[in-house]
Amino acid sequence: MSHVDPEQLAGLALDPSDGPDEVREHAETCPECAGLVAAFTGVRRRAGADALVPPPAGLRAQVLAEVRAGDARPQSPSAPVEPAPGRGVPLWLAGVAAALALLAGLGLGRIGTGSTETPEAVEPPGDTGTVVAATALRALDSDAERGEARAVQTDDTFTIRVSASELGDEPGVHEVWLINVDGERMISIGLLASGDEGEFAVPMELIEQGYRIVDISVEPEDGDPTHSGVSIARGELA
Amino acid sequence: MTIIPFPARAGRRYGGPVVTEAMAFEDEQDDNVQALAARLVEGDETALEEVYDRWSALVHTYALRALHDPHDAEDVTQQVFVAAWRSRHTLTPSPAALPAWLVGIARHKVADVRAARARDADRLAAVVSLPGARDDTLQAADDETAERLVVRQAVEDLPDPRRTILFLAFWEEHSHAEIAEKVGLPLGTVKSHVRRGLMKLHQQLEGVRHESR
Repeated sequence: MSHVDPEQLAGLALDPSDGPDEVREHAETCPECAGLVAAFTGVRRRAGADALVPPPAGLRAQVLAEVRAGDARPQSPSAPVEPAPGRGVPLWLAGVAAALALLAGLGLGRIGTGSTETPEAVEPPGDTGTVVAATALRALDSDAERGEARAVQTDDTFTIRVSASELGDEPGVHEVWLINVDGERMISIGLLASGDEGEFAVPMELIEQGYRIVDISVEPEDGDPTHSGVSIARGELA
Repeated sequence: MTIIPFPARAGRRYGGPVVTEAMAFEDEQDDNVQALAARLVEGDETALEEVYDRWSALVHTYALRALHDPHDAEDVTQQVFVAAWRSRHTLTPSPAALPAWLVGIARHKVADVRAARARDADRLAAVVSLPGARDDTLQAADDETAERLVVRQAVEDLPDPRRTILFLAFWEEHSHAEIAEKVGLPLGTVKSHVRRGLMKLHQQLEGVRHESR
């Protein structure tokens, strides 16, 4: 026979003995109809939930107020500002140029005053050493970029250089941690004391033991030396 | 729940006009929901108000059952509707899209609250567990809660007398004969309402399942 009218199948879901014999036989042997009976039975089972609880009356006004306040803002804060491709000087390059100009200016100034300091002294520390591992840092709740971290080896010292960005303005200090890839151990390697840049000497053995996940947390000044639980950036050195 | 008895009507046959009228009403309702979704996408603020009035109890109850905390449930409800407004461009209007979409947003917000709680409860353990790990059992329980609430809402949205009949049949577990007696409709009509009501709930639930996938 052809498929059973869904209404009869709904009847079977409510009472398996309901309906003519041939309808019941078909519903037992036809996978499609049997599936629909099972689906109806599932819905019946889900009927019986307690009444819905409306939120407090004041919440509606709060939602609308927040929505209106948000719309009044000129631009979404998450919209990234990027230079137009193929045109002009990229922002990062402009930054490098400005830094070089500043260095040159300092050097000239020193030459002009007859300083005996060698020009090498003003070289940025980032130019020395070998980068053995690096990672991009990202937010945990999104893929938003938060700068980068590099593991640098210079002769016999080993440092983690963090160059973070957009860490937000949540109150507290930014602490840098290394989390072991075993997911059970972590160690603090210091604070981002001035801005979003920091360099931290660490024993090479730590990296070898698996402490390769760089994590930046916001720490309230509460005297508790453990991780606050608020991680704002993370990346695994590789 | 108050049950309003219906005046006795003379011998209507199975699937009589009462049933047909109710079906027509439901189709109209679907169209209304779709139009509401379209208005929301266009940025009509009064559409958000209507969406809130219609589904805030569903979202709030879901958050309350999942989080067991009135304050957190309120926060989540507020966040869901604000997020819904801000990401309204991502909504594709269809009859089940709105509740499915709102429940989907609510799931994420509930997960955020749980993650924050886990951090408070066991900081180190939570910090080192990389994002993405999820408690499947908890998720399954949440999904079941969401489905039961969607069914509840779908029944409440039904036009009377179908709404009352389904409450009597499914919530108060009355027999069809008892319901026929109570609401003063013929047994055949009551049976038809219950069956078609069940089909409508199924359709609504399937829509939500499909859309929130």
